[in-house]
Amino acid sequence: MNDRRHPTILQRLEADSRRRHPQQYLDRYQRQGPTAGPWPDSSAGSPRRVAAHEPRNRLRWQDHVLLTLAGVFLLLLALRSVSAHAQDAAAWGLTLEAGEQARTVLALDTTLHAEVAGLVARVHVLQSFRNDGNDWVEGTYRFPLPDGAAVDRLTIQVGDRVLKGEIRERESAQRVYQQARSEGRTASLVSQERENQFSTRLANIGPGETVHVMIGFLANVEWRDGSFHLALPTTFTPRWGSERQPGSGVSAPHPQLVSLQQGNPHRLHLQVDLEAGVPLATVESLHHDVDIQALASGYQVTLLNPEERPDRTFELRWTPELGLFPESALSTWSDGDEVYAQLMLVPPRDEALRPMSREVVFVIDTSGSMQGASIEQARAALLEALEELQPGDRFNLVQFNSITEPLFAESVPVTERHLAEARAWIRKLHADGGTEMAPALRQALKQPPRQSSGSATGARAHSGNAQAGADGIRQVVFITDGSVGNERELLAEIADRLGDSRLFTVGIGSAPNGWFMRKAAEIGRGHHTHIGRLEDVAHSMSDLWAYIRLPAVSDLCIDWGVDAEYYPEVLPDLYAGQPLWVVARLPEVPEQVQLCGELNGQPWAHAAWPETQQGPETLATLWARRKVESLQDSMMFGADAAVMEQEITTVALAHGLLTPWTSLVAVDRTPARPQGAPLAGVDVPSLLPAGSTQGSAFPATATGWKTQLALSLLVLAVSGGLFLRPFGNVAWLRRGAPDAPGRPPFRSPVSWFRGLLLPRP
Amino acid sequence: MNIRHRPFAAAVLAAAFFFSAQAAWVPAKAALGQYLLERSWQARQAGEVAPKPWPWADTAPVGVLEIPRLGLRQLVLEGASGRNLAWGPATLTPVSGKDVILSGHRDTHFTALRDLESGDRLTLWDGARLRAYRVAWMDIVDSRYQELATRQDRDQLTLVTCYPFDAPTAGGPLRLVVTAVPIDGDEVVAVTGPRSGL
Repeated sequence: MNDRRHPTILQRLEADSRRRHPQQYLDRYQRQGPTAGPWPDSSAGSPRRVAAHEPRNRLRWQDHVLLTLAGVFLLLLALRSVSAHAQDAAAWGLTLEAGEQARTVLALDTTLHAEVAGLVARVHVLQSFRNDGNDWVEGTYRFPLPDGAAVDRLTIQVGDRVLKGEIRERESAQRVYQQARSEGRTASLVSQERENQFSTRLANIGPGETVHVMIGFLANVEWRDGSFHLALPTTFTPRWGSERQPGSGVSAPHPQLVSLQQGNPHRLHLQVDLEAGVPLATVESLHHDVDIQALASGYQVTLLNPEERPDRTFELRWTPELGLFPESALSTWSDGDEVYAQLMLVPPRDEALRPMSREVVFVIDTSGSMQGASIEQARAALLEALEELQPGDRFNLVQFNSITEPLFAESVPVTERHLAEARAWIRKLHADGGTEMAPALRQALKQPPRQSSGSATGARAHSGNAQAGADGIRQVVFITDGSVGNERELLAEIADRLGDSRLFTVGIGSAPNGWFMRKAAEIGRGHHTHIGRLEDVAHSMSDLWAYIRLPAVSDLCIDWGVDAEYYPEVLPDLYAGQPLWVVARLPEVPEQVQLCGELNGQPWAHAAWPETQQGPETLATLWARRKVESLQDSMMFGADAAVMEQEITTVALAHGLLTPWTSLVAVDRTPARPQGAPLAGVDVPSLLPAGSTQGSAFPATATGWKTQLALSLLVLAVSGGLFLRPFGNVAWLRRGAPDAPGRPPFRSPVSWFRGLLLPRP
Repeated sequence: MNIRHRPFAAAVLAAAFFFSAQAAWVPAKAALGQYLLERSWQARQAGEVAPKPWPWADTAPVGVLEIPRLGLRQLVLEGASGRNLAWGPATLTPVSGKDVILSGHRDTHFTALRDLESGDRLTLWDGARLRAYRVAWMDIVDSRYQELATRQDRDQLTLVTCYPFDAPTAGGPLRLVVTAVPIDGDEVVAVTGPRSGL
């Protein structure tokens, strides 16, 4: 007791030494156990003391530090791989730049006008903005476009200046490029605006000045689950990262993105003129309250609420009323010289159609390019497809890479045993080898022997379904990424051998050869489906099956009565629930259009009469689009590029189309501009037409391995530290250094390292 | 250490090993890829038909990109998919065409591009002809708003890689776009042929 109050000199020395070399005391204490000796209270309160009192299996502070560090670094690693997949969202609207600062302002007013003509809608959007700042600023206007749309009409008013968009022949790329460089604009041709957005630069916006931007584009009307859908973005919903609703294919409304203050005049005005051509069963808006009026020519849809805000996508859905027989609607538009026509063919109700037995041949690409995600998607798509087969159908599976290998020698009836065999076969598919597509196509399109070709009937009698070959339908479902080099030969082969088969192509992967597969389906009188992600497999395949489940009119033929240039040139079949459109250019309005084909196994004939009143002008644009497409195709098929270019340019200029050889140029059309002053032209960089394959997204070109390596090495070091305990109590560190009795010799890290380096006797 | 914490530390250690191996595999694969591609390229030059750089390859070297000043020599692959880019720089457009676009990882094959300067000489040997280019412009482009345009009426070589070079994480929106224009005939003739061998 006395000792504690008056420590001896020895005790003081020991306390001092303990303070300077705590570890050796700690180690001694741990070896000897807690009863080793009294620890003077004078040094109590030191955290090391406290640690020393703890039992041996408690964590020391070093361990805590190491564990925390390990946790933090691991977390960083995890976050790193998460952030690698998160892209920054783009900003829509008018971004004003004053010096270094940029801010996006919301539209004061948004007016949307859509005129629907069959499968497309001509949409005009007018948005107004105001520069609320006190400076003259520059700005960039960006608008998200629906899939496949490109802006081809443009008017901008800034203060009292007016810029108008004009479609002009594109100058030689090099020259435009040189000029753009000399004007200080960057990369105007190396990179282009990505699809599904429109943007244009605006200069010299004065304080308090109002900017009006009017753009026009053609939006595709989507056909889904037996009805038409038109989706119009009204606000700046980020396209990237916006979640797609499963099965719908359109962006979900994003109400939270617009932080509108109460009382601000951010309003949406909207009108849709719906000219459906056929009687409609229903017209409905999915997210807005609307007023629908039936007019002589169709329907007019307006918003009920005048206070509506542009905070969510406008979606309209309409369903045609189906009859007992296929119906048609023919509308025309004349520019005084030529007549443009659109013919819509509506199939009858399902009940009016007799289901036919069918033979389905699945062809799957298992070449090396399908490796990874693609083959997984293909396997999933195939398994999904097997589920849709009906009893009475027959099927077969063919895989091809360098060689072609069918599952069954010929198509077999749908039975549990065959299905199980097929599933097992599908699960074993793996991608390897080359892409020899032609033999697989030949195998798939090989016609089953007809009854008339007597000698081969034996095999069919064996399969026990003598009807299917002659009476049924034959559908070939081709699943591939289409990475082939000999597209032309393959397409010719398809045209040659198609016969009574129909070819449906399913594009797999993030960047399939879309052109080839669309064309293959077109020539194969079928339908093309694209599956981009594994999650999409189920609904893309069920879309395809919904499409092809019930043919209504097959072997369709058309007689316009006059010399007509019409698209699609190869008419596909008419399927239940799937209206069919044909656009044409004619020298005069036809008296009637004769249609023929085969319905329920019987010959079918039908006549369509043009409606008396003038249809929309869009018909001409529609025809011109298809014309340009077909000219581009003939370029792919080896037509003289220079001649085709010239032809495309002529058509595009006449109809105001965007093509690789024509572009939208904004020209200053201010009325009050002094005579003789030069026109200020601005090349609007949204140049390419819808569906063009000329643009491609930038590939991801960073791996970030350095950061990952650095971080994981840190974790490695730290967690290694947890095991090695370089602070002293690791047995092998002390090995070979004989202890002074009861006290380990202290070795500084320097001497420890020296000990490692010096050879020991 | 507490006996109960040992499994945790072991798990952390294992995870760290895995992550570091994964990270180290990237540059290793990049280097290995170039070696295998070089072998395959030589085999093809020697007349072998469609030699595979590695047994499961579905791509093949289609050309050699050289930047003499930076000492860069890279075998170029067909098709700029993520899988191909791990092995080497890859083409977005056919290498035999006029408008050639190559892309590569900023932290493996195209690291050297950070030192590229305007006027630097580039050559592209596609097995049939050697084309020489001069770096004309370098741009930083935001891939959120821009995409690559290919135009067949334009004779040029475009190199694309991520930017900035030192960004700690992958997946950023910025790209470095290097545009190189052809050097006129005379200079090309002066070059006798591509370097051969490893």
